[in-house]
Amino acid sequence: MSTLRVDWTRCDGHGLCARLLPERIALDEWGFPIIAAGELDDGLVRAARRAAQACPALALRVDKS
Amino acid sequence: MTMTDVPRIATDHDRLPPVLAFGAPRILAGAAQDRRVDLAAHRTLHGALVPRSRGWLSSSLAQVRMKGRGGAAFPVSIKLDAMPNARSASVLVNGSESEPASWKDRVIMRQCPHLILDGALTIAQALRTKRITIAVHDAASARSLEQACRERSDASSVTISITGNAFVGGEIRAVINGLNGGRALPGGRRVLPTVDGIDHKATFASNVETFAQIGLLALLGATEYARVGSTNEPGTTLVTMVGDVPFPGVIEVPIGIPIASLLQSPPGDRRAVLIGGYHGTWVDHIDHLVVERDALRIAGAPLNAGVIARISADHCALVEVARVTSLLASESAGQCGPCFFGLPAIARGVQSMVEGAGSEPMSRMVRHLDTVSGRGACAHPDGSVQFVRSAMLTLDAELRQHTEHGTCGRIDGHVLPVVAAA
Repeated sequence: MSTLRVDWTRCDGHGLCARLLPERIALDEWGFPIIAAGELDDGLVRAARRAAQACPALALRVDKS
Repeated sequence: MTMTDVPRIATDHDRLPPVLAFGAPRILAGAAQDRRVDLAAHRTLHGALVPRSRGWLSSSLAQVRMKGRGGAAFPVSIKLDAMPNARSASVLVNGSESEPASWKDRVIMRQCPHLILDGALTIAQALRTKRITIAVHDAASARSLEQACRERSDASSVTISITGNAFVGGEIRAVINGLNGGRALPGGRRVLPTVDGIDHKATFASNVETFAQIGLLALLGATEYARVGSTNEPGTTLVTMVGDVPFPGVIEVPIGIPIASLLQSPPGDRRAVLIGGYHGTWVDHIDHLVVERDALRIAGAPLNAGVIARISADHCALVEVARVTSLLASESAGQCGPCFFGLPAIARGVQSMVEGAGSEPMSRMVRHLDTVSGRGACAHPDGSVQFVRSAMLTLDAELRQHTEHGTCGRIDGHVLPVVAAA
């Protein structure tokens, strides 16, 4: 099973992740990601990895749990 | 998030508060507001320090169920068991007491430094290392510890390190990052010091009071140590009592003592009490609460670093909450967006509650509390949210008065200390 995690010290609120994975990521009023609770469905893991790779601050990652 | 500078609290106001004990003092034996226990007095009170093996220490810590005194209340025996036996390992005493209302660690460092050294040396010997670092951010505590190291012959390998004093800078991972030459801020990944500590080697890190308690355990043995306190958590602990309390100051209490007896509260007393300091919890029924870490955590009001405060019925509590929330907002290290933007928004929300803003700003603030919760690298945002959220629930009657009249009619007593950012 996989989980999305944010390194908050790195995140600059670019917001790309919410565009690439709207199923799981919304943005708060300051532009920082709000990750839906719980583990990723298998069908979303690839898209989640793509979102993590696209993060300009390398703040998003997909952890195997 | 990348930010430039870290706000600092000026904490070197050098007057210690009164120092007291409920029952016989142990940690604070021989100490008073103006009396430091030097090595001769320390040995007269506690006897000689005998070396304790790692096995003895581990089983004794487990037997007395000792919990860390910095706030997280982690079982000390488990922390010890996680350490390798290695000369490269370090022992780190965290004396960077960074919460403005708390004084207990500085009281121990300034008045009873030898118990801390006894505890640190006991752990170091058990781990077969000589590397001991004490991180302090106030000059008076550093002087006392340096003097204590000079007074004895077994402390030549102890390093005393002056660290930054921002609120989150006292967090153990922030202290370690600072000692390793980085910025004194918590890291983004939660890595335990027992894995990656000083010089990126395994480090047994704990709070000043924890080391004093370990020293006491080594001196007394587990049976004698456990003669006071509760079954679930033997021993004593130090609390800092603030505001409208019978004994303001740093008090050593037997664990298990009812909070109502510390506060001399009659049964059914509904005055609001803050338990656990500025990352703590406001409660208005304390009859069932005792000073015991597990019990308070289960009751939803963890003891954290031991600050207990009460605002007098003549004073406005909401304005105190607003001022402390502003401090918490200004003490965001600025690393994590939700904390950096969210806490100031929450602080503005609390201030508008004081001014009687009504339901719309209230619901916005509740939304901000939800937004910030659980989204940061350290405990600062969650602790701050707990402080504000519990205040809004507990002070609801006063909140209504402010909403209806723009004031509760009580004066601002400036009870909870907030040292201005330097």
